[in-house]
Amino acid sequence: MLKKIPRSNLLFFGAALLVFAIIQVAISTYMLNDFWNTILRLGAVMAIVSLGLNLIYGYNGQFSLGQWGFYAIGAYVAADITYRWTNNNDATGLAILLFGVLLVGGAIVYLRSVLGKIRGLDALSAFTMYFLATLILGIASVYIGQWVGPAITALLMALPAAVSLQIVYILAVIIAGIFAAEVSFLFGLPVLTLGSDYFGIATLGFTIIVKVLLDNSDTMLGFQEMKGARGMIGIPKITSWFWVFLALVVVVVIMRNLLHSSYGRAIISVREDEIAGKAMGIDVAEYKILAFVIGSFFAGLAGGLYAHINGFLHPNSFNFIKSFDPMIIIVLGGLGSITGTLVASFAWALLLEGVLRLVLPQGFETWRFVVYPLLLLLMMLLRPSGLLGAYEIPFLRQILPPLKNLGKTGKPEAGNAAPVQEATK
Amino acid sequence: MSNPLTPANENGRQSILEIQELSIQFGGLKAVNNFDLELQSHDLQGLIGPNGAGKTTVFNMITGVYTPTAGNIFLQGQEISGLEPHEINHMGIARTFQNIRLFPSLTVLDNVRIAYHAHAGYSFVDGVLHNGHFQKKERELTEKAQDFLAVFNLQDRQDWTARNLPYGEQRRLEIARALSAEPQLLLLDEPAAGMNPAESSSLMDLIHFIRERFNLTILLIEHQMRVVMGICEKITVMDFGEVIARGTPQEIQSNPKVIEAYLGPGAAALSEKFRRKKVQ
Repeated sequence: MLKKIPRSNLLFFGAALLVFAIIQVAISTYMLNDFWNTILRLGAVMAIVSLGLNLIYGYNGQFSLGQWGFYAIGAYVAADITYRWTNNNDATGLAILLFGVLLVGGAIVYLRSVLGKIRGLDALSAFTMYFLATLILGIASVYIGQWVGPAITALLMALPAAVSLQIVYILAVIIAGIFAAEVSFLFGLPVLTLGSDYFGIATLGFTIIVKVLLDNSDTMLGFQEMKGARGMIGIPKITSWFWVFLALVVVVVIMRNLLHSSYGRAIISVREDEIAGKAMGIDVAEYKILAFVIGSFFAGLAGGLYAHINGFLHPNSFNFIKSFDPMIIIVLGGLGSITGTLVASFAWALLLEGVLRLVLPQGFETWRFVVYPLLLLLMMLLRPSGLLGAYEIPFLRQILPPLKNLGKTGKPEAGNAAPVQEATK
Repeated sequence: MSNPLTPANENGRQSILEIQELSIQFGGLKAVNNFDLELQSHDLQGLIGPNGAGKTTVFNMITGVYTPTAGNIFLQGQEISGLEPHEINHMGIARTFQNIRLFPSLTVLDNVRIAYHAHAGYSFVDGVLHNGHFQKKERELTEKAQDFLAVFNLQDRQDWTARNLPYGEQRRLEIARALSAEPQLLLLDEPAAGMNPAESSSLMDLIHFIRERFNLTILLIEHQMRVVMGICEKITVMDFGEVIARGTPQEIQSNPKVIEAYLGPGAAALSEKFRRKKVQ
């Protein structure tokens, strides 16, 4: 079997393992202090959000400023689940959301296959049906969750505390991703019918709505533990380097596999030329939604990871101004480049949050936000295609299956193809 | 392959496309009015007319880009007006564009592979996992695309970025991409635009070749009269959104209405005089 694994795959996973191990050892032996440890984890989280955005903007061509909103949703959803578990020893929140995302997800997939067969169904009526289904199943899952919650709590309590916390945490992060993906589906269905610029404005609006809701989460939403604009505290700090790194590798592999499949090519064709894509049989609306939902899933996942880094969430971290951060990262790294996004995300974290914070004298930290846009300006002038342009490491490159040797000598069906041969002269 | 809705006509050929009283209105402007057309299998028909006559609008209605305000379009007896463009493509109509619309920053191979998407044969999950089924299907698909490029003599170019191809090859790739979805009907929108006489001659050969090779029915819009008159069996002339003449190339060339549409009122009489002079 080993022979069948391409060299680039072995190299990639080998290198990933090596990077993980070196940093893990450095962390364990306190060679890297907490400051740098946090920065590395933030870099990885940022990379996940930015990869999601790159799928939407870089590959699918839809200018979205909404990723920060999905990131915020993911963060608060995951934080709420683990908060309730650690502080109240109550898994009801987990049960409600788990059933919620599973039921709603199933309903969306099922409705999609049913509604897909109806010709000429407009986006708004489709949206209404999805919305009603979500509403009904959401309420149903609250009841189901409250009913089975105590049982799940008892089950988790039977396990050692550390193990049960990790289980709740992993589930919370995954639920956060799916939750964000489902919200993005409902939001994207009507909004993705807008043209690209209008879509950008609508998604910006989304991020602002999320921020306002989070500012008033204790009054408008009724989640006392989120404490609105005072910031949510008491979230367990359990996002380790291992988890963020694992999530990042999984996201990179998913992105790479997706993009090098027919579905990925369909997503890219939307960016290249929507009209030609349609004429070639690509359901453009469907692939816009697909890219948007996957990208938002990554954002929600990253949010869930982020919430457990500092153990503190404040709505100001999810301000819409911040939503330009991943946008700037993907533009710096190169639109449509996974490698570039990875490099730019870690550079963003290490330089902006790390080196500059240490190098700049006391009281001048705010100058970071002058240096950073200047860098961006220079970049746009000197390398408009991004830091690495379209470069990808071999693992992420287009891998053609062994090409048939049709090269210079190949003249298949020479007689038949004669006029075409002439046409090249 | 006989369709009960479309009985074979006296020649034993099957009706592929039938357009009845097609009209579209943009605000107060009737861009196309009462347009009729019938294409039988293996036909090669032309659609000509001065700029702004509504030819491309007709193409856009056939391919679902615009929804007609009135009238019907039948593909092999099945109503297709009102369907989405991708659905119409899946039913067997492919097209090229007046200004070439390739996927510019993708490779030549990917341009063709995208058109195979509906026949990829693996699910989204297979695609994300890159499992054995994916590997097998993807290889099949790629080989199919490569064979296809070879037919169009583009095999050496498969890893070129589409935008870097020379103009003539871009045109050829666009036709190859349109045909890779195995349509029955191909709509060519000014395939010879911007081509010199030598290039348009080879284009004419190419059109003949693909019609035989893929058993196609072709409808083309073209301004280069040499191309239209040289390859079309039947020509429909439009002006101001209406059909003003229809017939064989010879009939069209001497039709006073057509001459008037192209050269202005009085031109027909003038050309008649000119011809008489020539005869004398």
